[in-house]
Amino acid sequence: METIIPKSKDAFLSLLRADLKTQWRNRRSVVMSLLVPLVILISWKGLIATFGGAFVFSISLTIGLASIGLMGYAISVARDRDKGIFQRLRVTPMPASFIMMSRLSVQLGMIALLTIAVFIIGYQVDKISLTPSGYILTFITAFLGGALYLGFGQMIVGLIKNSETVNSGTRLVYIAFIMLGMFGELSSNIQFKTIIHWSPFGTVKTILAAAMQPAAWNNDATFALLATIGYALIFSFLGIKWFRWNSAGS
Amino acid sequence: MSSQTGSSILQVESLNVFYENFQAVKDVTFHVKEGEIFGLLGPNGAGKTSTLSAIEGLLKPHSGEITVAGFSIRKQPMQARANMGVQLQSTSFQPELTITEIIKLYAGIYGISLSNERLNIILQDIKLEGSASKRFGQLSGGQQQRVSLVISTIHDPVLVMLDEPTTGLDPQSRRQLWERIEAIREKGHGVLLTTHSMEEAEAVCDRIAIIDHGKIIAIDTPDTLVELHRNDPNVISVSRKGKITLEDVFIGLTGKTVRS
Repeated sequence: METIIPKSKDAFLSLLRADLKTQWRNRRSVVMSLLVPLVILISWKGLIATFGGAFVFSISLTIGLASIGLMGYAISVARDRDKGIFQRLRVTPMPASFIMMSRLSVQLGMIALLTIAVFIIGYQVDKISLTPSGYILTFITAFLGGALYLGFGQMIVGLIKNSETVNSGTRLVYIAFIMLGMFGELSSNIQFKTIIHWSPFGTVKTILAAAMQPAAWNNDATFALLATIGYALIFSFLGIKWFRWNSAGS
Repeated sequence: MSSQTGSSILQVESLNVFYENFQAVKDVTFHVKEGEIFGLLGPNGAGKTSTLSAIEGLLKPHSGEITVAGFSIRKQPMQARANMGVQLQSTSFQPELTITEIIKLYAGIYGISLSNERLNIILQDIKLEGSASKRFGQLSGGQQQRVSLVISTIHDPVLVMLDEPTTGLDPQSRRQLWERIEAIREKGHGVLLTTHSMEEAEAVCDRIAIIDHGKIIAIDTPDTLVELHRNDPNVISVSRKGKITLEDVFIGLTGKTVRS
């Protein structure tokens, strides 16, 4: 009997189509990922005059990116691992890397959706507009920041096998991110502010804010960019190294 | 029953599986022939699922050789997997997807072009044509098992592996599943199944292997196993109905102690 090895492209597209449908059916999670940053964008309208549009924009986007990486990606991976969905896919004649590539592709789509939503609401409600190069650079840095948080989410599901613990753990980390992000830089303690500035939250916020005003890009933004890439690489490396395809650990 | 004269479509030679320092599978050797239903029986933690996982490529054995339809799992994993269909213990499909979407997903992964007509035939065959747009998470246990079996055979594999396929099913669903498993055998394909049910092993398996503490301790047809151990004192001591059954042989060989 002839052995048919399916074409990689067809297998990947089938998987991606299914993952997109799954994401669409989990609309509540999509809405939640968009809602918090948009609420911040709208409710912080009054701060734009004091801190500038880039400050509000960048905080809003950073929180949204954290939501996608932690709440969207990590929780869904932990749940599907627990249900044996990955193991079922792994026994098919398809590279196992396709499973994660498809998941990540969906999350990259979410990042694009979030960035566009923030741009639209920012313009409609807060009258914030960027230059064309500002929009392009913001898009690129949003993907970089997204990579950091997806790596962070991957590290969490690598470290923690139990899906319930991942669920509660990521929520806790997410809330901590929101609190630090919203109020950390308003603190008067210099040391605390420095820690926040160079934390995974601070570096993403810095590069996003700088990307919105390309003309004002400085050394601080460059170092923040390097730190963001470094964080993304370290988190992804550890997340992949520690990751197990089933929650029993094998 | 099959003629059992076919060539081997699964060969497992000297398989050893470790979880860190614990050896779950010890020097296991067996084969499954074309047109044969082969049962792997054992108490909890005996090494059944570890053996199956090694064959499926889900875990890397410490040593040993596994070939499926002549393809080495280690050297030609894609070819080997293309020739096997797998039903895992857990339900393992996205609960948000409908039956139709799951069938299309796996057809796409296996490179099968699926017309609407063929899709309808599949749905009719598993008696779920009225539930095509139902999400997998909304199906009953029996319906989920039927979908799971149809997915494992969607690419017409020469080897089908079923891990405790009838667990939790009512007698009607179980009988129906047995008929489906027998239909796979009729096509000349091989089936490797694990089960805790001696009734199931006797009813559908052509040969069985009893595995305990990672080792195969007996391998033969159900009738021959009963014959061979009819006079074993351990088997006689656990007999309950005055005649020796496969379950008596199983308990006599693996012990009465309940495993966790």
